[in-house]
Amino acid sequence: MRTTALPAAEATRPRTVVVGALLATGAVFTAFAALVAVYVQQRQLARATGQEWFPEGSVELGPAGMMMMTLVLSMVTVQWAVQAARDEDRPHGFIALGVTLMFGAAVINQFWFVYTDTAFAIDGGRAELLFYAVTGSFIAMLIGGMAMLAVTTIRSLMGPFGRDLAHGVQAAGAYWHMCVLCYFLVWYVVFVTK
Amino acid sequence: MTLTEPAIAESEAASGAGGAAGPGSSDEAAAAPSILAQPFVTSDASEVGRLFVLTSLLLAVGTSVVGVLLSLGRTEAAAPWELFGGFNAYFRMWTLYRMSFMLLVVMPLLLGVALAVVPSQVGAGNVAFPRAALASFWSWLIGAVVIVVSVLAGGGWGAIDGVTGNESDAMALTLLGTGMVIAALLLGAVTVATTVISLRQTGMSLLDVPPFSWSMLVAAAAWLFTLPVAVANLVVIYADLRGRPAIAFGRAESPDIWLQLDWLVEQPAVYIMAVPVLGIAVEAVGAAVGARSSRPEAITVIVGLFGLLAVGGWSQDYFTAPQDLRDGLVYVAFGLAAVVPLAALAGGAAELVLRGARTRDRLLDTRMLGAGAAMKLLGAAALAGALRVIEPLDLLETTATWAVFHGVVAAGLLAGVVALRNWSDVLLIGPLPAAAGRGAVALLAGGGGLLVLSDLISAFLADAPDLMALALDGSAVLNVAAFVGSVLVAAGAAAAALGAVSALRTPLVAGGGAT
Repeated sequence: MRTTALPAAEATRPRTVVVGALLATGAVFTAFAALVAVYVQQRQLARATGQEWFPEGSVELGPAGMMMMTLVLSMVTVQWAVQAARDEDRPHGFIALGVTLMFGAAVINQFWFVYTDTAFAIDGGRAELLFYAVTGSFIAMLIGGMAMLAVTTIRSLMGPFGRDLAHGVQAAGAYWHMCVLCYFLVWYVVFVTK
Repeated sequence: MTLTEPAIAESEAASGAGGAAGPGSSDEAAAAPSILAQPFVTSDASEVGRLFVLTSLLLAVGTSVVGVLLSLGRTEAAAPWELFGGFNAYFRMWTLYRMSFMLLVVMPLLLGVALAVVPSQVGAGNVAFPRAALASFWSWLIGAVVIVVSVLAGGGWGAIDGVTGNESDAMALTLLGTGMVIAALLLGAVTVATTVISLRQTGMSLLDVPPFSWSMLVAAAAWLFTLPVAVANLVVIYADLRGRPAIAFGRAESPDIWLQLDWLVEQPAVYIMAVPVLGIAVEAVGAAVGARSSRPEAITVIVGLFGLLAVGGWSQDYFTAPQDLRDGLVYVAFGLAAVVPLAALAGGAAELVLRGARTRDRLLDTRMLGAGAAMKLLGAAALAGALRVIEPLDLLETTATWAVFHGVVAAGLLAGVVALRNWSDVLLIGPLPAAAGRGAVALLAGGGGLLVLSDLISAFLADAPDLMALALDGSAVLNVAAFVGSVLVAAGAAAAALGAVSALRTPLVAGGGAT
C-alpha cells in the first residue's frame, strides 16, 4: 500500500489580534467591575445607616430598560458583522456595523435624556457622584467600542476583507459584548435595585 | 512557504520601520529614519525595550534622590518636613517617592526588559503589536512627565491639610498622569502577554516557555487584574475632585486621595512588581552556573502561585472600615502565603547551583550575586509582610509597610541590573561594564537591606501607628541607617544607569536591534 507524504499542517495558534483584544477587554472589565463594586458598597453602607440613596422617583427604570433592549439588539448586529467579516461579505458587514453604531449612538442619546431627567448635581452627595462616575465611565467605554467598530468599518470600505480585518471585527465584537455586559451591571445595580 | 504569525509580525515590523525593502537592501538605508526620528517610529521591540530601560533607570536616580532627601528629613526627628518647606510639600514628595518607584521605575524597567527579551525567548521575530509597544513607551513617558511636573506645581495625591482650589487643578493633572502611566503599562503588558500566548514557536507549550517569559505572562495577568482597579479609583477621585467641595465619602481625615490609592504600594498589590524578578533570578542563576532546572514545571507553578498572591485590587480598605479587611482571614492568608513560593524558588535556585559548575568565577558572577541578592531582599520583604499581618504584633499601620515596599523595589532594581548583564546584547548592544554591574549590585543590595531592616525595626519600636515615621525620635540610629540605605540605593541606581549608558557602544538606532 502506498502512502503519500503530505506537508505538515500549519500550526494553529490563537489569533493575535483577538488574544490582545481579549486581554485588554478583560482589563477594562476589571476597572468597570471595581467601579460598580464601590457603588454597591457605598449604597449598602448608606442604607445600613438609614440614609436615602436616591430621592424617591428620581431614577426611572423605563429609559434604562430601553437602553438594555437596544444594547441586546446590538449584540446581534455586531455578531452579524463578525460573521459577515468571516464570510468576506462586504455589504452585510457594512450594514451590520452601521446598524450597531446607530444603536450605540441611540444609547448615548438616551443617557443624555436620563441625565436631563434626573438633574443630579455631581457634588450632591455620594450617590450622585458615583452615579455619574459609573454611567460616565460606561459611556466612555461605549464610545471606545464605537470607535473600534468605526475603524473596522472604514477599513472594510477601503480594501478587501482579509484575515486581519476579520480578526479586527471579531476583536471589536468581543469588546462590544463586554460593554453590553457592563451595561447589564449598570442597569441592574443603578436602575433596577436603585 | 506558509506565512506564520511570527513572520507576519516580522514583516509588519519591517514595514513599520520605514520601508518595504527587505533587509540588506540598498533602498533600506535611504528610507531609514534619522537618528532623532527613530525613537518615534521604530517598530523594533528591542529598541522600545531599551528606551523603557534607559528612561526608567534615569528616573530611578531621580526618585532615589527624593528618597535621600526624605530620609534626611527623617533624621530631623522634630520636624522632618522643614527640609521641604512645609508639611504638604513633604507629603507630596513622600507620595511621589512611592508611586514613582512603582509606576515610573520598577514596572517599566522590567517591562522594557520583557519587550526586548521575550520575543527571542519564545521564537518570535518581534512582539505581537510593535506599534502598541512604542505607543506604550511614549504614553508612559508623557504620563511620567505630567506626574512629576504636576507634583512640583503643588498637585500630587492629596494634601494633609485639605485641598485648595489651585491644588485641585494640579492634582487633577496628577491623576491624569497616573491614569496615562497605568494605561501605558497595561498596553505594554498586553503586548508581552499576547506575544507569549500567540507568537511562541510551534510545538512550544506554555510549560516549555522559559522562566522569564512565563513570569512576564504571569506578571501581565496580575497587572491586568490589579492596575485597572486603581483606574477605577482614579475615576472616582477625579469626579470627587471636580465636584468640590469633596464628598470624601464621609471620611473626615485628609488626605483622602492618597488613602484611596495607597493599597497599590502596599502588600499584596506591591508584589505585582516582583513577579518578573523570579523569572530573571532563575534564568540568571542558571546562566551563571551553566545548568538547567531538573523540574522546570515546579518553577512554573511557583511563579504562577506568587503571581496569584500578588493580585491585590481587592485589598483596598478606603471604602470599608480598615480593620474589617486587614484583620480578615483572606488578607492575613495572602500575607503569610507569599513567603511560600519565594522559599520554594530559593530551593529551586539552590538546586541549579548544585547541578551547575560551582567554580569561583561562576559563583562570583554579577548575575549570580545580583540574583541572589534580589531573591534575599524579596524574601525579606515577604517575611516582613508576613509579620505585618500577624495581628498581635500590631504592625499594620507602621513602617513595616515600607519594609515590604523597599524590599520589593530593591529586588526589582537588582533584577533589572542582572537582566542588563544577562541579556546585554539585546538590551544594550554592548555588554554592561563589569565594574558598573558589580558596583550597582553591591550598592543596591546593601542599601535595600538597610532600608528593609531599619523600617522593620522601626515598626517594632513604634508605640502607635506611624506610617510616615514622623514620631520616631527615639530611634535615631535607625533613621541614620535609613538615610545611609537611601544614599546607597541612589548610588546603585546611578551606577546602573551610567553602566547602561556606557554600554550603548553604537548609537541607539544603528542596526535596528539585536533580537
